[in-house]
Amino acid sequence: MSDEFDKEAAGHVADEWRYIVTDMICRAGSGHIGGALSLIEIMHTLYYRVMNVDQENPLAPDRDRLVLSKGHAAPVLYVALAYKGFFPASLLGTMNADGTTLPSHADARTVPGIDATTGSLGQGLSVACGMAKAAKLDGQKHTVFCIIGDGESNEGQNWEAAMFAAHHKLDNIVSITDYNKLQIDGFTDDVLSIEPLADKWRAFGWEVFEMDGHDWDDIYTNLKKAKSVIGKPTMVIAHTIKAKGCCPVENTPGSHNVKVPDQEAYDKFIGGLTTQDVEVPY
Amino acid sequence: MSDLHDMEMRQVYGITLNKLIAGNPNVMCLEADLSKASGTNPTVAETNPGNFVNAGVAEANMIGIGAGLAIEGKVPFCATFSCFASRRVYDQIYLSVAYANVNVKIIGTAPGITQGPNGGTHMDFQDLATMRVMPNMHVYSPCDPYELRAMMRHMAANVQPTYMQLVRPKVTPVFNESYAFDPEKAVVIREGDDVTLVSTGYITSFAVAAAEALAGDGVSVDLLHYPSVKPFDVDTLVTSAKKTGAVVTVENQSIIGGLGGAVCEVLAERHPTRVTRLGIPDRFGEVATEQYLFDKHGFGPEHIKEACRKAATVRT
Repeated sequence: MSDEFDKEAAGHVADEWRYIVTDMICRAGSGHIGGALSLIEIMHTLYYRVMNVDQENPLAPDRDRLVLSKGHAAPVLYVALAYKGFFPASLLGTMNADGTTLPSHADARTVPGIDATTGSLGQGLSVACGMAKAAKLDGQKHTVFCIIGDGESNEGQNWEAAMFAAHHKLDNIVSITDYNKLQIDGFTDDVLSIEPLADKWRAFGWEVFEMDGHDWDDIYTNLKKAKSVIGKPTMVIAHTIKAKGCCPVENTPGSHNVKVPDQEAYDKFIGGLTTQDVEVPY
Repeated sequence: MSDLHDMEMRQVYGITLNKLIAGNPNVMCLEADLSKASGTNPTVAETNPGNFVNAGVAEANMIGIGAGLAIEGKVPFCATFSCFASRRVYDQIYLSVAYANVNVKIIGTAPGITQGPNGGTHMDFQDLATMRVMPNMHVYSPCDPYELRAMMRHMAANVQPTYMQLVRPKVTPVFNESYAFDPEKAVVIREGDDVTLVSTGYITSFAVAAAEALAGDGVSVDLLHYPSVKPFDVDTLVTSAKKTGAVVTVENQSIIGGLGGAVCEVLAERHPTRVTRLGIPDRFGEVATEQYLFDKHGFGPEHIKEACRKAATVRT
């Protein structure tokens, strides 16, 4: 599969996704742009090259699962699922509109293809543990992916789940930390440092890999490697850039949740993207 | 007389879980290092080790694991002390269970004053109230072994996030083998005209005794037992209040927000009636015997009788 991968084409899709995510958030008037844009390449790689999913059968028992524990990054997941055909891309323009099925945080109740409802930070890895445990009990071979944030890693429940997953040898869990070094109130090293992050996960009994979360080859290689680890769960620490590709807020604390009150702000965010000639599908 | 009759409630919980697992291997027993207290260790742990998961002292994680198991079609029964099963993990239950609408059963053991020697730190008087205000949740409190068993069968058979209180020791049976549980229905245990007495959980056995004694004194009690405080059977309460014009509630909970709160909400809208709420007032718990706490807060058998007598004389 990797041999057929067209990096240039993927790069164009990534630019397109960045544009659409930004546009969705701008139309909604506000949104969590930073933590969505840091996951573009990872989400693309998961849904196009690593995860086994079937848009015709979103609940297929043998599919790989994804728990987006940092549920506020839902816009990038919605775009990935729409592109894969889980629901019409025309819906993307309704995010956060009154009565929408696409709320700001990932919602399994209303969105085909989403495996767990998240939004209150720190709970997703526990849910992933339950899903992985169920798979072990039922002799299923699929993988449960779980994406957590670096700020989210402040939540103690992650570390309860970390102990549990290692104790139960849940090698069918591949977790990814979106380590963009920023949380709402500032840089993680200033607010509450999570370092030494790799050592922490190793100490909890996990296999740990680190990767550049915007490098196609690095992401693919590490996620495939993580999927094949036997006997323990794996954490892939993805070094990323918050709000990557959106110049006005890239790598700034303010990118966590931006307000887009008027055309001027809209022009600022859209104008700050590398690609402009995108026709949005809604 | 059935073998259930003389069992501890937690024994019934463990044995019933084993029977449910035998009937449906997807039923799971989750614990957080209190499995002996819940009655599932060794009962379930040894008979069905594959269905038994101990999360350790990590209640939040236990609820999340329960949610993940439920998403995959398992039917997890997650037990720990009621103080931890409700207030400690409120957001986990709210988001990962109720909001997500997944089929997790949460068992709050040793509710209210039955925490005795563990004292105020471990006493939760609010779980019926806090769980009741959560959309999607069903909230139950069984009064005896027969009701507990029937309730657990119902829980295993229905896809429905549920919170259930579980008193651990033996209690005085109210029902028998023929008991059938319906969460939509209160049980009219005794019919009377002078006062409506409403109870839930193991306190119902005291209400039964009080109603019998009052009958001897010429006060006839309409005794309603609510195994489910959510859903709440509105019609049975309103019909009874219309008949008697006087209502007394009693529960092993705070008088704010629980069964008494539900009764007041319903009657205020449907048939305004004077209500006397018995239970724990707006106070924390303390290390004490049940008798001491009954007397201190005024919701033991004698207090129930007295409150009913008074209520019957000032009918609405």
